[in-house]
Amino acid sequence: MPETQKFAGGSGDNSSDNSLQANSVVHRRYKILGILGQGGMGAVYQARDLNFPDVHKLVAIKEMLNPATDPAIHNSTLKLFQREANILATLNHAAIPKIFDFFDQNERFYLVMELIVGSDLEELINKTKELPVDKVIDWAIELCDVLEYLHTSQSKPIIFRDLKPSNIMIDNFGKVRLIDFGIAKIFDSDVRRHTMIGTEGYCAPEQYKGNVTTLSDIYGLGATLHHVLTRKDPRLEPPFSFGERPIREFNSNVPERFVEAIERALSLEPDKRFNSASEMKADLERLRYQPQVAFSAGSDVKDGTNFFDGLDADGAIQPKWKYPTEDEIRASASIYKEMVFVASYDTNVYGVNLSDGEFAWKYATHGGIAASPIVDESNRLVLFGSEDKTFYALDCRNGRISWSYTTQDKIRSTARIAPDVDAVFFGSDDGHLHALNVLNGRFLWKHDMGDPIRSRPFIFNDLVIVGSESGEMVALELSGNRKWGFRARRSLTSSPYVDTIEGICYVGSTDGYMYALDASSGYSSWRFRTNGPIISSPIVHEGLLYFGSADGYLYAINAQTSREKWKFQTEKAILSSPVVHNGAVYFGGIDEYFYCVDIQTGKERWKFKTNGAITSTACIASDVILIGSLDKTLYALPLVG
Amino acid sequence: MDLFRRLFTQSQAKPDEPVSKVVEPELLEEQKAPEATTVPIPAVNVVEEKDEPEIAYADGATRPLPPETVITTSNMHLTFGQSTDVGMVRSNNQDAAFSFFSTSRNADQRPDFGLFIVADGMGGHHDGEKASAATAHIVAAQVTNNVYLPMLTGENDADRIPITEALVSAVQKANADIIARIPDGGTTLTATAIIGDLAYVVHVGDSRIYLITKDGIEQITRDHSLVQRLIELDQLKPEEAAHHPQRNVLYRALGQSESLEIDALTRRLPPNSRLLLCSDGLWNVVEEKDMLGIVLAHDDPQEACDKLVALANTNGGADNITAILLYIPSS
Ligand SMILES: Nc1ncnc2c1ncn2[C@@H]1O[C@H](COP(=O)(O)OP(=O)(O)O)[C@@H](O)[C@H]1O
Ligand SMILES: [Mg+2]
Repeated sequence: MPETQKFAGGSGDNSSDNSLQANSVVHRRYKILGILGQGGMGAVYQARDLNFPDVHKLVAIKEMLNPATDPAIHNSTLKLFQREANILATLNHAAIPKIFDFFDQNERFYLVMELIVGSDLEELINKTKELPVDKVIDWAIELCDVLEYLHTSQSKPIIFRDLKPSNIMIDNFGKVRLIDFGIAKIFDSDVRRHTMIGTEGYCAPEQYKGNVTTLSDIYGLGATLHHVLTRKDPRLEPPFSFGERPIREFNSNVPERFVEAIERALSLEPDKRFNSASEMKADLERLRYQPQVAFSAGSDVKDGTNFFDGLDADGAIQPKWKYPTEDEIRASASIYKEMVFVASYDTNVYGVNLSDGEFAWKYATHGGIAASPIVDESNRLVLFGSEDKTFYALDCRNGRISWSYTTQDKIRSTARIAPDVDAVFFGSDDGHLHALNVLNGRFLWKHDMGDPIRSRPFIFNDLVIVGSESGEMVALELSGNRKWGFRARRSLTSSPYVDTIEGICYVGSTDGYMYALDASSGYSSWRFRTNGPIISSPIVHEGLLYFGSADGYLYAINAQTSREKWKFQTEKAILSSPVVHNGAVYFGGIDEYFYCVDIQTGKERWKFKTNGAITSTACIASDVILIGSLDKTLYALPLVG
Repeated sequence: MDLFRRLFTQSQAKPDEPVSKVVEPELLEEQKAPEATTVPIPAVNVVEEKDEPEIAYADGATRPLPPETVITTSNMHLTFGQSTDVGMVRSNNQDAAFSFFSTSRNADQRPDFGLFIVADGMGGHHDGEKASAATAHIVAAQVTNNVYLPMLTGENDADRIPITEALVSAVQKANADIIARIPDGGTTLTATAIIGDLAYVVHVGDSRIYLITKDGIEQITRDHSLVQRLIELDQLKPEEAAHHPQRNVLYRALGQSESLEIDALTRRLPPNSRLLLCSDGLWNVVEEKDMLGIVLAHDDPQEACDKLVALANTNGGADNITAILLYIPSS
């Protein structure tokens, strides 16, 4: 046994003025060899017991200062110490170090106990990169066992109160040993008048109300295991925030059932935890004898919950109707009364009956159509631009042309109408934002941005806000005058969205950031980073901002604080813009799926597979969702779930 | 909107000319001017004005000064008050307060700018007051450099870092500075930059910001305290928290760790609303309904601040007390 395994040095750095000196003999029996560790109330020393002159018997001596100056308090503290030491001395469990002796000297108390050779769990966490999960399960079971012993073996349960990595040692045989029996608590004055920093991090919530029970130790064990497995120190996190750090996000090796046991131990309500340490032990033991593979394979399988109408026998959602076109559908459909308008890259815009998907009319342009047709309800017009450089206005009842207007290059930007002033705005690859009179297509003005404009303008407070492929964004007054400008690092293909109540404009860029700007001044207030270009346009619903990124996630973030509420992972990039309806967010993925995700939980409600990537935005009517896919088809899905 | 219709009709008359250089904006302002005079003056004032008798004047009589209602609203700006006091128990004041406000009217049209900071220091041997003072000054200097000065010069308008990011990095800088220079000190920090009518808030600890309107008072920051966390998790009732022995225990403060998480949020300030920044020396002993009452009862923010601090002292003044109060104009 190495004698000076981890000395901080006899009279080295850690030792305060009054600490025992190396080679001094205390209580006429223990020769101090060095310091094992620093505790809150004093040091823990390694010493040799001189009563055994022929063998090298080593012990640990824990020192506790008695801060009480009042002799009466001092005396009662001494009594308490003696009583606690006596209880400890009677305990007999492999995981509890033996107590040999206790005494007091120079206003200090000393507890002589078995020396444990090994290191405490906190050191172990700091020294290693990862601890094998199997080992952690073994330790957890041993800890349950010693807790069970403490809670049940005496006439009154002994509550450990302070389970945490630094109070658990792993000895050289790899076995758990509990140190620090809270005896020091007797000396700990609880009078904290001044504002101070620091919470314990491992303590159960009820302990702060003075309701300590054996179940508080279960929580402490859960907290310790959470720290060991995630390596996220709870003392550096908000109290009771374990639930915000799912174990498997930090350590995918942990079997789901172990995670469930830890989460149960960490329930805020004591009665939702295990009823006893022995119950938890039994649960963990079942885990130990289960083959490891069984967990990881089954963990991601979803059991089909909440089936609803519109599902076929296989549980797949069935479209009410489909409308096939001859090329990719890149843009969103729109609805007016009983008619659906959908543009295809096959150069046509189609008018289709909403109820049954029957063809009503079509209008052919001379180029593919990538922009979405929009409806001017007061003038009953369908408006859109085509890659033939021309912007069209059709009569929405019969598809006959009302007027057209030609720009210098392809049009891929979806238009926006300002109904109060009968103006329509759209961008063109010719680098201009064009403003036309919506009734007759007469030119009002254009604004030169120098680079193609493919985003859809937004109108807020008499400002037209639009971004270009150079990453520049401008806000123009309705007269065409520039009010403010902003620049992202890469292109702004995503369309700006203004939360009209707060007056904040949100826009995504292919530089990977989502930006929030003051819509009236253009000053940017925050940006949120994703790991891929953002092409999907954001929307705000009840204080949350939703958008997709090419990193494959759909994000829901708090619009005021830019904190993430949840993110939903898909297989590939998300270019489609989300739509929120009835507690769910709908969007398509490049992975060919159309998703319905619960906005509260961020969990999938259902998904629908098309045969091509989905880049467009869903259009929602009373009982139907319209979504176009690059598989050339427009799907009308029943609005369920 | 008719105004814009007219604007558009005009430009239609000369369709081939791009209209980006039209002089309409001036026209627009002129047209708006009479409208502006009908904007109601702040609710608080209205009450007093109502009592004034209406006097009819014969034609040709000497007229008095124009009634206040025709004074243009374009000169209205934010006003503020600031008070801090050691309280009735402590021997030194570890709170720090900082207020700065600038307003200008000229062709450049820069929005009004304000920066307001409350920091509540903790730690013995004067470390607490050193930490809060250092924090207030570092944050103020950083924000001035990275937000206010660029705004004045209008440089790189488009390329500036987001304001919230500038505020957050200012707080990070203060945190690093305290850890390096005042290792035993710590401090809360609650600061807001006001640009136009937007409030950009950064916050760590348990100093607070309240948004006050005539409809009520709303705490817009969230205390980083153990008891607040217990309340949020339904583990403690708010009334239990008021007397909890650990009610002053924070889980987040400057000077604690290199990696500091900072709350940041943006709020649009409604016309005539009021913003109160304060340390726990105020909110621990003055109830929200009393804050609301005092703030709404005073037209002068400084007077209201002094009253708030006085009430905290009347109620025991157990801690240092700091209050900064902003009155947002009506438009
Ligand atoms: N019996 C022992 N054998 C070996 N090392 C010990 C023993 N008891 C304590 N230590 C070491 O001393 C450190 C502090 O001891 P602890 O009893 O936890 O003090 P405190 O009650 O002040 O937290 C432990 O983390 C451990 O490293
Ligand atoms: Mg300990």
